[in-house]
Amino acid sequence: MSGQTQGLGARLEALGHTIFYWMLRLAGQTGAYLLLWPVITTYVLGSRKIHRLTLPYLSHRFPDHGRLARWRDTHRIMLAFGRVLVDRAWLGLRPGAALQGCLEGQDELLALAAEGRGVVVLIAHVGNWQTAMAQITGMQVPINSLMHYQEEAVAKHYFDLRKKEMPFKIIKSDGFMGGLVEATAALQRGEVVTIMGDRYAGGPATEVEFLGAKVRLPAAAYSLAAATGSPVAVLLAAKTGRRQYSMKLWEVCRPEPSDRENRRRDMQKWAQRFADALEEYLREYPYQWYNFFDFWSQ
Amino acid sequence: MEELKKQIKEIIVRDLKLQGITPEEIKDNAPLFEEGLGLDSLDAVELVVLVQKHFGVQIEDMDEGQAAFRSVETLAKFISERRPAGV
Repeated sequence: MSGQTQGLGARLEALGHTIFYWMLRLAGQTGAYLLLWPVITTYVLGSRKIHRLTLPYLSHRFPDHGRLARWRDTHRIMLAFGRVLVDRAWLGLRPGAALQGCLEGQDELLALAAEGRGVVVLIAHVGNWQTAMAQITGMQVPINSLMHYQEEAVAKHYFDLRKKEMPFKIIKSDGFMGGLVEATAALQRGEVVTIMGDRYAGGPATEVEFLGAKVRLPAAAYSLAAATGSPVAVLLAAKTGRRQYSMKLWEVCRPEPSDRENRRRDMQKWAQRFADALEEYLREYPYQWYNFFDFWSQ
Repeated sequence: MEELKKQIKEIIVRDLKLQGITPEEIKDNAPLFEEGLGLDSLDAVELVVLVQKHFGVQIEDMDEGQAAFRSVETLAKFISERRPAGV
């Protein structure tokens, strides 16, 4: 019985995708946005799962919100996420489609790259990270991206839809030493290495305060930067309008090499700065957080 | 080759600040990571930088790194095959 239910669920999901693609073809981005509203509303009213997925974040970000406000928050966050997915599909289906954006802090980022010591660019699963990565191409140096296979699949899909070559080389984080050997070599050549600073997927980690509670964050980026003398730049993108996004350099730090016994403590210090930057971002864009799992248990 | 291995052991103990072990105690074929010397992925990052700094040899990718970082013996072989003249 449950197998039949799962089969029906998968068929309904596939049907939903097909309807959205047809709507995109017939009525463009605006039509698909309009369709999102009743679909998301139905899910928020009828699905418990969707609330389970958003609750860990919303309860930390809005601890004072009651049941009704929490439902409204879930609606807003899912609608924002749905719009990002629609944008991604729309960019793929319409050859002339484009999003307009700006990068606040571009000069500083270019200056960091021009130092020739490599740059560790930390990004996160907020806003539209694929757009962020697509926009850091004017750096005059090659860009590498340390990625888990799931993120790699999403990034490839994004650029396949755009019928564009990926503007960066992927370093697989599930390889030897989590891809850190290749990332180190790239930084030594003065290249850019982007790393997801939020999701922990193995390797060195550290615990920081984030939205009022302790959370484990990946820490390899800070060690990489300390060993190679590269600066760390936190770059986060946000959707700010129907066809607009904004990218901003939220934080720059320069981790220094530390003794073996102080290494963990220092990594925690740098990771806390990333967490603080992420909190600041979420104060401005509270509904663009797309880690739909219990982030505080990772 | 023996001199190179001695140099590598000294660098590992001194620059990675290993405690409770001397360069002489490191066996040529002992694994560098995990159950061997107990180095971790953060040490691997520093080792890549140290190999470049002391020997002018760049470890470019994970295949090279995996082969080179098995032991002092394999690291010495890797460096001697790629070391620029005079370094």
